[in-house]
Amino acid sequence: MHSKGFNRTMRIWLYATYFILFAPIAVIIIMSFNKTPFGMLPFAFTLEWYELLFTGEALIESALLSLELSFAVALSAMLLGTAAALGVQYLPRRARSLFMAVNNVPIVIPWLVQAVALLLIFNMTGLGRSYTGMYLGNLIVVLPYCVMMAAARFHEADRAPEDAARLLGANRFKVFWDVTLPMLLPGVVAGGLMAFMVCFNAFAMQYFLAPFGVNTLPMEIFTMIRSGYKPDMNALSALLIIVTLAVVLLLNKLNRRPNALSNRQQPS
Amino acid sequence: MKKALPALPSAALFLCLSLVPLAMLALFSFVAGNLSPAGQISGFTAANFIRAFSSWTFPRLLGKSVLIGLLVTAICIIIAYPAAWALAKVVKERRRSLMMSLVIVPFFTSQLLLIYAIMTLFQSKGLIMTFFGMLNLADPATSILYSNAAVVIVLVYEYLPYMILSLYTSLEGIGDDLLFASRSLGAGMWFTFRRVVFPMSLPGLLSGILLVLVPVTGSFVEPELIGGASGMMVGSLINSQFSEVLNMGYGAALSFVFLVALAGIMAIINRGMGRAAGV
Repeated sequence: MHSKGFNRTMRIWLYATYFILFAPIAVIIIMSFNKTPFGMLPFAFTLEWYELLFTGEALIESALLSLELSFAVALSAMLLGTAAALGVQYLPRRARSLFMAVNNVPIVIPWLVQAVALLLIFNMTGLGRSYTGMYLGNLIVVLPYCVMMAAARFHEADRAPEDAARLLGANRFKVFWDVTLPMLLPGVVAGGLMAFMVCFNAFAMQYFLAPFGVNTLPMEIFTMIRSGYKPDMNALSALLIIVTLAVVLLLNKLNRRPNALSNRQQPS
Repeated sequence: MKKALPALPSAALFLCLSLVPLAMLALFSFVAGNLSPAGQISGFTAANFIRAFSSWTFPRLLGKSVLIGLLVTAICIIIAYPAAWALAKVVKERRRSLMMSLVIVPFFTSQLLLIYAIMTLFQSKGLIMTFFGMLNLADPATSILYSNAAVVIVLVYEYLPYMILSLYTSLEGIGDDLLFASRSLGAGMWFTFRRVVFPMSLPGLLSGILLVLVPVTGSFVEPELIGGASGMMVGSLINSQFSEVLNMGYGAALSFVFLVALAGIMAIINRGMGRAAGV
């Protein structure tokens, strides 16, 4: 806290932590270009694993299913979560903190237990393992993220423009459309992107709730890892990691301006 | 109250798809045998609970999972605390936003890919074993995969970003003026940490513990893929009741006991933290 030496130690510790976090990911990406299929040395450059990946059919099919599922779930969660954040601010304080506590339950509870509890309910109602069940299961674990992101936006933002618009005679719909929504939008989009990524990777929910014989991409990857080494796994992982990196950088851009509306109105 | 109506659909979803199913676990614990979508409930029995505690298998796995959870959480705190401090207080502000984004990358990467990355790194004749072999520390043809140690390593790797992010949120809120005041009033570094930094970081630490300990204790994918025969956890046992043995009533009983145990642990930690904050 005081000395230069202390700060330097902390900084080195931080970089070491980043090294631990990213070395395994970097190795996967490098090895996806390596000729020996088992990720071993020496290194010889090749693109054949990527060719293999795009000519195989099982992965494309499950990747498409995962994309469709995540898109549907993220879109629903975005709409529901934004509506919830809008409504929850008018609740009395006690009710609001109860809502936020309940909101955290699906994030904290092990997804194994959450998934198993849902499977039992679905079996009891006769729904069983189904697309509907899988959709609902994934929705409930990503919805909290959308609520949190939109609610955080409300919390940070300057609410004066809304009152001003109302005073100037705008009706409630117009205030929402022209003032509230643009203010919320970065939070809504960030929540939606987060929901998409979390849903895309929500293996446990899909593993227990997907219809029999239907595999999402994470389920396919699970089978690949368990059944032993598949050389195009590295190529697939590398691609997914690069997409993730792109999404994270996009999120970073979205979050940079906490109040887009008032920023715009400030003379620069 | 009318203005709060838009929150209703989400509230209903949380009720129907999260709270009610979790509460219903208690009921399903008494179902005899399997619960398939077509089949009727054949009867209610307490046999599931008796079975869970009549041998040591389940209690031992439950205890082991909690210990692994505590160990992983402790390692995460040790690694993440200084890192989060550096991120919040040492790194220049210009670079901070990019570094924060980078921490989120593993959080958004599939858990399966992270497991796979560790497997590749630690496999026999892989990068790390070759390195140890060159130092004559271990035979490069062996590997630590398929053991409890491997499970712990993977879990620390997966959950480290959660701990860093939680701690960062709290540490960032500590004003520099506060640290300066403590220092100019003659407090040493250790005293400042104990009386200023640590108490103020407690909310972040608590949420970090919550976000790491609970999911780690309930993990089943990691033991399945990288734990081998000895690496089973309580999640593996629950999972097998639903995907292999198909004895869902028994699985529900195990899940219910597990959930109650988790709630107990969280209550203890909450109280302990409250007391520590009162120092």
